[in-house]
Amino acid sequence: MTDHVARLYATALAIVVFFLSWAGVAAHPWGHETEAKADPRMAQLDRRAEKLRQRQARVQRKLDRRFAAYRVALARRQAEIAAVQASPAPVAAPSAPSVSAPSVATVSAAPVTETRSS
Amino acid sequence: MERHAFHALGTECELLLDVEPSPDAVLALALAEGEIRRLERLLSRFRSDSELSRLNDAGELEAGDDLLAVVRLALEARERTGGRFDPTVHDALVAAGYDRSFEELAVEGAGSPAAPAGGAVRVRGRRIGLDPGVRLDLGGIGKGYAVDRAVAGLATVGPCLVNAGGDLAVAGVPAGGAWPVGLDTPAGELTLGVAQGALATSGRDRRRWRADGEDRHHLIDPATGRPADSDLVTVTVAAPTAVEAEVAAKALFLAGEQAAAAEADALGLPALLVTADGRVRLAGGLA
Repeated sequence: MTDHVARLYATALAIVVFFLSWAGVAAHPWGHETEAKADPRMAQLDRRAEKLRQRQARVQRKLDRRFAAYRVALARRQAEIAAVQASPAPVAAPSAPSVSAPSVATVSAAPVTETRSS
Repeated sequence: MERHAFHALGTECELLLDVEPSPDAVLALALAEGEIRRLERLLSRFRSDSELSRLNDAGELEAGDDLLAVVRLALEARERTGGRFDPTVHDALVAAGYDRSFEELAVEGAGSPAAPAGGAVRVRGRRIGLDPGVRLDLGGIGKGYAVDRAVAGLATVGPCLVNAGGDLAVAGVPAGGAWPVGLDTPAGELTLGVAQGALATSGRDRRRWRADGEDRHHLIDPATGRPADSDLVTVTVAAPTAVEAEVAAKALFLAGEQAAAAEADALGLPALLVTADGRVRLAGGLA
Protein backbone atom coordinates (compact mmCIF):
# COMPACT_ATOMS: atom_id res chain seq x y z
CA MET A 1 0.00 0.00 0.00
CA THR A 2 2.72 2.46 0.94
CA ASP A 3 4.72 1.57 -2.17
CA HIS A 4 1.65 2.09 -4.29
CA VAL A 5 1.11 5.65 -2.98
CA ALA A 6 4.77 6.44 -3.36
CA ARG A 7 4.66 5.32 -7.01
CA LEU A 8 1.66 7.54 -7.64
CA TYR A 9 3.46 10.58 -6.14
CA ALA A 10 6.57 9.79 -8.15
CA THR A 11 4.56 9.50 -11.40
CA ALA A 12 2.71 12.78 -10.76
CA LEU A 13 5.99 14.54 -9.96
CA ALA A 14 7.57 13.18 -13.14
CA ILE A 15 4.66 14.48 -15.23
CA VAL A 16 4.87 17.96 -13.66
CA VAL A 17 8.64 18.10 -14.22
CA PHE A 18 8.15 17.01 -17.85
CA PHE A 19 5.64 19.78 -18.63
CA LEU A 20 7.70 22.44 -16.85
CA SER A 21 10.74 21.45 -18.90
CA TRP A 22 8.68 21.56 -22.10
CA ALA A 23 7.38 25.08 -21.32
CA GLY A 24 10.92 26.23 -20.56
CA VAL A 25 12.26 24.95 -23.89
CA ALA A 26 9.26 26.35 -25.84
CA ALA A 27 9.83 29.84 -24.41
CA HIS A 28 13.47 29.74 -25.69
CA PRO A 29 14.54 32.77 -23.64
CA TRP A 30 17.90 32.81 -25.48
CA GLY A 31 16.18 33.58 -28.89
CA HIS A 32 15.94 37.44 -28.96
CA GLU A 33 19.49 38.03 -28.08
CA THR A 34 20.66 35.58 -30.70
CA GLU A 35 18.46 37.06 -33.44
CA ALA A 36 19.46 40.63 -32.62
CA LYS A 37 23.06 39.70 -32.86
CA ALA A 38 22.52 37.35 -35.81
CA ASP A 39 21.82 39.76 -38.75
CA PRO A 40 22.24 43.55 -38.52
CA ARG A 41 21.20 43.80 -42.20
CA MET A 42 17.62 43.03 -41.14
CA ALA A 43 17.52 46.20 -39.08
CA GLN A 44 18.95 48.14 -42.02
CA LEU A 45 16.28 46.70 -44.32
CA ASP A 46 13.59 47.63 -41.81
CA ARG A 47 14.85 51.23 -41.79
CA ARG A 48 14.96 51.27 -45.59
CA ALA A 49 11.40 49.91 -45.82
CA GLU A 50 10.17 52.60 -43.44
CA LYS A 51 11.85 55.31 -45.53
CA LEU A 52 10.24 53.91 -48.68
CA ARG A 53 6.83 53.90 -47.01
CA GLN A 54 7.26 57.55 -46.07
CA ARG A 55 8.40 58.43 -49.59
CA GLN A 56 5.46 56.55 -51.13
CA ALA A 57 3.08 58.48 -48.90
CA ARG A 58 4.65 61.80 -50.01
CA VAL A 59 4.38 60.84 -53.74
CA GLN A 60 0.78 59.68 -53.26
CA ARG A 61 -0.14 63.02 -51.65
CA LYS A 62 1.49 64.89 -54.53
CA LEU A 63 -0.35 62.73 -57.10
CA ASP A 64 -3.64 63.27 -55.30
CA ARG A 65 -3.12 67.05 -55.43
CA ARG A 66 -2.25 66.98 -59.15
CA PHE A 67 -5.17 64.70 -60.02
CA ALA A 68 -7.56 66.95 -58.12
CA ALA A 69 -6.26 69.95 -60.10
CA TYR A 70 -6.60 67.99 -63.35
CA ARG A 71 -10.19 67.05 -62.55
CA VAL A 72 -11.07 70.68 -61.88
CA ALA A 73 -9.46 71.76 -65.19
CA LEU A 74 -11.17 68.89 -67.02
CA ALA A 75 -14.59 69.81 -65.66
CA ARG A 76 -14.03 73.47 -66.62
CA ARG A 77 -12.93 72.50 -70.14
CA GLN A 78 -15.85 70.07 -70.60
CA ALA A 79 -18.24 72.82 -69.55
CA GLU A 80 -16.67 75.23 -72.07
CA ILE A 81 -16.87 72.72 -74.92
CA ALA A 82 -20.42 71.72 -73.99
CA ALA A 83 -21.40 75.39 -74.01
CA VAL A 84 -19.87 75.88 -77.46
CA GLN A 85 -21.59 72.77 -78.80
CA ALA A 86 -24.92 73.67 -77.25
CA SER A 87 -24.94 77.09 -78.88
CA PRO A 88 -26.83 77.24 -82.20
CA ALA A 89 -23.92 78.63 -84.19
CA PRO A 90 -21.95 75.38 -84.65
CA VAL A 91 -25.08 73.54 -85.75
CA ALA A 92 -25.56 76.06 -88.51
CA ALA A 93 -21.89 76.25 -89.41
CA PRO A 94 -21.66 73.16 -91.61
CA SER A 95 -24.97 74.05 -93.22
CA ALA A 96 -23.79 77.36 -94.54
CA PRO A 97 -21.54 77.08 -97.57
CA SER A 98 -18.12 78.23 -96.54
CA VAL A 99 -16.75 81.25 -98.37
CA SER A 100 -13.19 79.98 -98.14
CA ALA A 101 -12.13 78.09 -101.22
CA PRO A 102 -10.31 74.81 -100.76
CA SER A 103 -6.55 74.94 -101.07
CA VAL A 104 -5.21 71.71 -102.55
CA ALA A 105 -2.18 70.86 -104.66
CA THR A 106 -0.15 67.78 -105.47
CA VAL A 107 2.91 67.52 -103.23
CA SER A 108 5.73 65.07 -102.69
CA ALA A 109 5.49 64.76 -98.89
CA ALA A 110 4.74 61.42 -97.23
CA PRO A 111 0.99 61.19 -96.60
CA VAL A 112 -0.36 61.25 -93.05
CA THR A 113 -3.69 59.76 -94.14
CA GLU A 114 -5.50 58.78 -97.34
CA THR A 115 -8.68 59.46 -99.23
CA ARG A 116 -10.51 56.65 -101.04
CA SER A 117 -13.96 55.77 -102.20
CA SER A 118 -16.29 55.92 -99.25
CA MET B 1 0.91 64.90 -83.64
CA GLU B 2 -1.99 63.31 -81.77
CA ARG B 3 -3.77 60.54 -83.69
CA HIS B 4 -6.98 58.76 -82.77
CA ALA B 5 -8.64 56.03 -84.86
CA PHE B 6 -11.92 54.18 -84.40
CA HIS B 7 -14.68 52.48 -86.38
CA ALA B 8 -17.87 54.45 -86.96
CA LEU B 9 -20.20 55.49 -89.79
CA GLY B 10 -19.56 52.08 -91.37
CA THR B 11 -15.92 52.89 -91.98
CA GLU B 12 -12.60 53.68 -90.34
CA CYS B 13 -12.39 57.16 -88.85
CA GLU B 14 -9.16 58.97 -88.08
CA LEU B 15 -8.62 62.19 -86.14
CA LEU B 16 -5.29 64.03 -86.35
CA LEU B 17 -4.43 66.93 -84.12
CA ASP B 18 -1.17 68.81 -84.64
CA VAL B 19 -0.51 69.74 -81.00
CA GLU B 20 1.66 68.54 -78.15
CA PRO B 21 0.09 65.77 -76.06
CA SER B 22 -2.09 67.28 -73.33
CA PRO B 23 -5.29 66.55 -71.41
CA ASP B 24 -7.05 69.14 -73.61
CA ALA B 25 -6.01 67.27 -76.75
CA VAL B 26 -7.17 63.93 -75.36
CA LEU B 27 -10.46 65.44 -74.30
CA ALA B 28 -11.01 67.14 -77.66
CA LEU B 29 -10.34 63.89 -79.54
CA ALA B 30 -12.76 62.01 -77.29
CA LEU B 31 -15.43 64.66 -77.79
CA ALA B 32 -14.93 64.59 -81.57
CA GLU B 33 -15.36 60.81 -81.57
CA GLY B 34 -18.44 61.22 -79.39
CA GLU B 35 -19.89 63.74 -81.83
CA ILE B 36 -19.37 61.38 -84.79
CA ARG B 37 -20.98 58.50 -82.92
CA ARG B 38 -23.89 60.72 -81.83
CA LEU B 39 -24.54 61.72 -85.45
CA GLU B 40 -24.29 58.09 -86.57
CA ARG B 41 -27.01 57.18 -84.05
CA LEU B 42 -29.22 59.93 -85.51
CA LEU B 43 -28.56 59.57 -89.22
CA SER B 44 -27.90 55.88 -89.94
CA ARG B 45 -30.50 54.09 -92.06
CA PHE B 46 -29.19 50.79 -90.68
CA ARG B 47 -30.26 51.55 -87.11
CA SER B 48 -33.94 51.02 -86.50
CA ASP B 49 -33.84 53.47 -83.58
CA SER B 50 -32.18 56.33 -85.48
CA GLU B 51 -34.10 59.54 -86.03
CA LEU B 52 -33.75 58.98 -89.78
CA SER B 53 -35.30 55.50 -89.53
CA ARG B 54 -38.19 56.90 -87.53
CA LEU B 55 -38.73 59.49 -90.27
CA ASN B 56 -38.56 56.82 -92.97
CA ASP B 57 -41.01 54.62 -91.06
CA ALA B 58 -43.51 57.33 -90.16
CA GLY B 59 -43.26 59.49 -93.28
CA GLU B 60 -43.11 62.66 -91.23
CA LEU B 61 -41.36 63.84 -88.16
CA GLU B 62 -40.65 66.87 -85.99
CA ALA B 63 -36.91 66.77 -86.54
CA GLY B 64 -34.00 67.70 -84.30
CA ASP B 65 -31.33 70.21 -85.30
CA ASP B 66 -29.00 67.77 -87.01
CA LEU B 67 -31.48 65.74 -89.04
CA LEU B 68 -33.12 68.99 -90.11
CA ALA B 69 -29.78 70.50 -91.13
CA VAL B 70 -28.69 67.43 -93.11
CA VAL B 71 -32.04 67.07 -94.89
CA ARG B 72 -31.94 70.75 -95.86
CA LEU B 73 -28.36 70.34 -97.12
CA ALA B 74 -29.38 67.26 -99.10
CA LEU B 75 -32.35 69.03 -100.69
CA GLU B 76 -30.18 72.02 -101.59
CA ALA B 77 -27.67 69.62 -103.13
CA ARG B 78 -30.41 67.89 -105.14
CA GLU B 79 -31.46 71.28 -106.48
CA ARG B 80 -27.90 72.41 -107.18
CA THR B 81 -26.85 69.22 -108.99
CA GLY B 82 -29.99 68.91 -111.05
CA GLY B 83 -30.93 65.69 -109.25
CA ARG B 84 -27.61 63.88 -109.70
CA PHE B 85 -27.32 63.93 -105.93
CA ASP B 86 -30.60 62.81 -104.40
CA PRO B 87 -31.29 61.68 -100.83
CA THR B 88 -34.39 59.73 -101.92
CA VAL B 89 -32.35 56.83 -103.31
CA HIS B 90 -32.97 54.74 -100.17
CA ASP B 91 -35.28 52.24 -101.86
CA ALA B 92 -33.08 52.09 -104.95
CA LEU B 93 -30.12 51.13 -102.76
CA VAL B 94 -32.19 48.47 -101.02
CA ALA B 95 -33.45 47.19 -104.39
CA ALA B 96 -29.86 46.97 -105.59
CA GLY B 97 -29.13 44.72 -102.63
CA TYR B 98 -27.54 47.25 -100.24
CA ASP B 99 -30.11 46.59 -97.54
CA ARG B 100 -27.84 46.34 -94.51
CA SER B 101 -24.53 47.80 -93.38
CA PHE B 102 -21.78 46.94 -95.81
CA GLU B 103 -19.95 44.78 -93.22
CA GLU B 104 -23.02 42.53 -93.06
CA LEU B 105 -23.71 42.50 -96.78
CA ALA B 106 -23.30 39.15 -98.51
CA VAL B 107 -20.83 39.09 -101.40
CA GLU B 108 -23.48 37.44 -103.54
CA GLY B 109 -27.10 38.32 -102.82
CA ALA B 110 -30.47 38.89 -104.34
CA GLY B 111 -31.67 42.20 -105.67
CA SER B 112 -35.06 43.59 -106.59
CA PRO B 113 -36.32 45.57 -109.58
CA ALA B 114 -34.91 49.11 -109.67
CA ALA B 115 -36.80 51.55 -107.45
CA PRO B 116 -37.40 55.10 -108.58
CA ALA B 117 -35.88 58.10 -106.82
CA GLY B 118 -36.85 61.75 -106.81
CA GLY B 119 -39.92 61.72 -104.57
CA ALA B 120 -41.08 64.82 -102.75
CA VAL B 121 -39.62 65.86 -99.42
CA ARG B 122 -41.26 68.79 -97.63
CA VAL B 123 -39.65 70.80 -94.85
CA ARG B 124 -41.87 73.23 -92.96
CA GLY B 125 -40.25 74.66 -89.88
CA ARG B 126 -38.95 71.62 -88.05
CA ARG B 127 -41.41 69.20 -89.64
CA ILE B 128 -40.10 66.96 -92.40
CA GLY B 129 -42.66 65.16 -94.52
CA LEU B 130 -42.06 62.47 -97.14
CA ASP B 131 -44.38 61.48 -99.95
CA PRO B 132 -45.81 57.97 -99.61
CA GLY B 133 -43.16 55.40 -100.56
CA VAL B 134 -40.30 57.91 -100.26
CA ARG B 135 -37.46 57.11 -97.88
CA LEU B 136 -34.18 58.94 -97.36
CA ASP B 137 -30.60 57.74 -97.37
CA LEU B 138 -28.26 60.29 -95.81
CA GLY B 139 -25.22 58.00 -95.70
CA GLY B 140 -22.70 60.02 -97.68
CA ILE B 141 -23.88 63.50 -96.85
CA GLY B 142 -24.36 62.52 -93.20
CA LYS B 143 -20.76 61.36 -93.11
CA GLY B 144 -19.64 64.69 -94.57
CA TYR B 145 -21.75 66.53 -92.01
CA ALA B 146 -20.21 64.50 -89.18
CA VAL B 147 -16.71 65.26 -90.48
CA ASP B 148 -17.47 68.99 -90.66
CA ARG B 149 -18.88 68.96 -87.13
CA ALA B 150 -15.95 67.03 -85.72
CA VAL B 151 -13.37 69.24 -87.40
CA ALA B 152 -15.16 72.37 -86.10
CA GLY B 153 -14.88 71.00 -82.56
CA LEU B 154 -11.25 69.93 -82.85
CA ALA B 155 -10.22 73.24 -84.42
CA THR B 156 -10.65 74.93 -81.03
CA VAL B 157 -7.59 73.02 -79.83
CA GLY B 158 -5.27 73.26 -82.84
CA PRO B 159 -4.69 72.39 -86.49
CA CYS B 160 -6.61 69.22 -87.21
CA LEU B 161 -7.78 66.74 -89.83
CA VAL B 162 -10.81 64.45 -89.62
CA ASN B 163 -11.07 61.55 -92.06
CA ALA B 164 -14.09 59.26 -92.20
CA GLY B 165 -13.25 56.56 -94.74
CA GLY B 166 -11.96 59.03 -97.31
CA ASP B 167 -14.25 61.98 -96.64
CA LEU B 168 -11.97 64.39 -94.86
CA ALA B 169 -11.74 68.00 -93.79
CA VAL B 170 -8.96 70.07 -92.30
CA ALA B 171 -8.83 73.19 -90.14
CA GLY B 172 -5.67 75.11 -89.48
CA VAL B 173 -2.30 74.61 -91.05
CA PRO B 174 0.04 72.02 -89.54
CA ALA B 175 3.74 72.56 -89.00
CA GLY B 176 4.53 71.13 -92.46
CA GLY B 177 2.36 73.74 -94.23
CA ALA B 178 -0.38 71.44 -95.55
CA TRP B 179 -1.90 68.09 -94.69
CA PRO B 180 -0.44 65.47 -97.07
CA VAL B 181 -3.22 63.08 -98.10
CA GLY B 182 -2.44 59.94 -100.08
CA LEU B 183 -4.56 58.75 -102.97
CA ASP B 184 -4.15 55.47 -104.85
CA THR B 185 -4.42 55.84 -108.62
CA PRO B 186 -3.56 53.57 -111.54
CA ALA B 187 -0.48 55.78 -112.02
CA GLY B 188 0.69 55.09 -108.46
CA GLU B 189 0.11 56.89 -105.22
CA LEU B 190 -0.40 60.63 -105.47
CA THR B 191 -0.19 62.93 -102.49
CA LEU B 192 -2.44 65.97 -102.24
CA GLY B 193 -1.43 68.74 -99.85
CA VAL B 194 -4.62 70.08 -98.27
CA ALA B 195 -4.10 73.43 -96.58
CA GLN B 196 -7.75 74.38 -96.36
CA GLY B 197 -11.14 72.84 -97.01
CA ALA B 198 -12.17 69.23 -97.52
CA LEU B 199 -11.70 66.24 -99.83
CA ALA B 200 -14.07 63.45 -100.75
CA THR B 201 -13.73 60.49 -103.07
CA SER B 202 -16.63 58.67 -104.68
CA GLY B 203 -16.19 55.60 -106.80
CA ARG B 204 -17.23 52.16 -107.77
CA ASP B 205 -13.95 50.49 -106.84
CA ARG B 206 -15.21 49.75 -103.30
CA ARG B 207 -18.54 48.89 -101.69
CA ARG B 208 -19.27 46.46 -104.50
CA TRP B 209 -21.27 43.26 -104.35
CA ARG B 210 -23.07 40.90 -106.70
CA ALA B 211 -26.82 40.52 -106.93
CA ASP B 212 -28.80 38.47 -109.42
CA GLY B 213 -25.53 37.52 -111.10
CA GLU B 214 -24.36 41.06 -111.85
CA ASP B 215 -21.92 43.49 -110.24
CA ARG B 216 -23.52 46.22 -108.19
CA HIS B 217 -22.11 49.26 -106.41
CA HIS B 218 -23.48 51.87 -104.05
CA LEU B 219 -23.51 54.93 -106.33
CA ILE B 220 -27.09 55.01 -107.52
CA ASP B 221 -28.10 57.08 -110.53
CA PRO B 222 -31.36 58.70 -109.33
CA ALA B 223 -32.55 58.94 -112.94
CA THR B 224 -32.62 55.14 -113.36
CA GLY B 225 -32.72 53.94 -109.75
CA ARG B 226 -29.84 51.59 -110.60
CA PRO B 227 -26.08 51.63 -109.83
CA ALA B 228 -24.63 54.36 -112.06
CA ASP B 229 -23.02 53.36 -115.32
CA SER B 230 -20.18 55.88 -115.52
CA ASP B 231 -16.96 55.91 -117.52
CA LEU B 232 -15.24 56.99 -114.31
CA VAL B 233 -13.99 54.67 -111.58
CA THR B 234 -13.34 57.27 -108.91
CA VAL B 235 -13.68 61.02 -108.50
CA THR B 236 -11.81 62.94 -105.81
CA VAL B 237 -12.95 66.52 -105.26
CA ALA B 238 -11.84 69.35 -102.99
CA ALA B 239 -14.45 71.77 -101.68
CA PRO B 240 -14.83 74.19 -98.79
CA THR B 241 -16.63 71.61 -96.62
CA ALA B 242 -16.84 67.83 -96.49
CA VAL B 243 -20.58 68.02 -97.24
CA GLU B 244 -19.92 70.00 -100.41
CA ALA B 245 -17.02 67.73 -101.41
CA GLU B 246 -19.19 64.62 -100.91
CA VAL B 247 -22.01 66.06 -103.02
CA ALA B 248 -19.64 67.25 -105.75
CA ALA B 249 -17.84 63.90 -105.91
CA LYS B 250 -21.09 61.99 -106.45
CA ALA B 251 -22.42 64.51 -108.95
CA LEU B 252 -19.19 64.51 -111.00
CA PHE B 253 -19.04 60.71 -110.93
CA LEU B 254 -22.49 60.51 -112.47
CA ALA B 255 -21.66 63.21 -115.01
CA GLY B 256 -18.94 61.12 -116.67
CA GLU B 257 -15.40 62.13 -117.58
CA GLN B 258 -15.89 64.95 -120.09
CA ALA B 259 -18.79 66.66 -118.33
CA ALA B 260 -17.15 66.19 -114.92
CA ALA B 261 -13.91 67.83 -116.04
CA ALA B 262 -15.80 70.72 -117.62
CA GLU B 263 -17.95 71.20 -114.54
CA ALA B 264 -14.97 71.06 -112.16
CA ASP B 265 -13.19 73.67 -114.29
CA ALA B 266 -16.27 75.90 -114.42
CA LEU B 267 -16.88 75.71 -110.67
CA GLY B 268 -13.20 75.91 -109.74
CA LEU B 269 -13.40 72.63 -107.83
CA PRO B 270 -10.01 70.89 -107.79
CA ALA B 271 -10.73 67.34 -108.91
CA LEU B 272 -8.92 64.16 -109.80
CA LEU B 273 -10.72 61.75 -112.10
CA VAL B 274 -9.73 58.12 -112.60
CA THR B 275 -11.26 56.72 -115.76
CA ALA B 276 -12.36 53.17 -116.52
CA ASP B 277 -9.46 52.79 -118.97
CA GLY B 278 -6.95 53.64 -116.22
CA ARG B 279 -6.16 57.28 -116.97
CA VAL B 280 -5.79 59.96 -114.31
CA ARG B 281 -7.12 63.37 -115.21
CA LEU B 282 -6.71 66.53 -113.14
CA ALA B 283 -9.34 69.26 -113.38
CA GLY B 284 -10.61 72.37 -111.63
CA GLY B 285 -7.17 73.93 -111.35
CA LEU B 286 -5.58 71.00 -109.53
CA ALA B 287 -1.90 70.79 -110.41
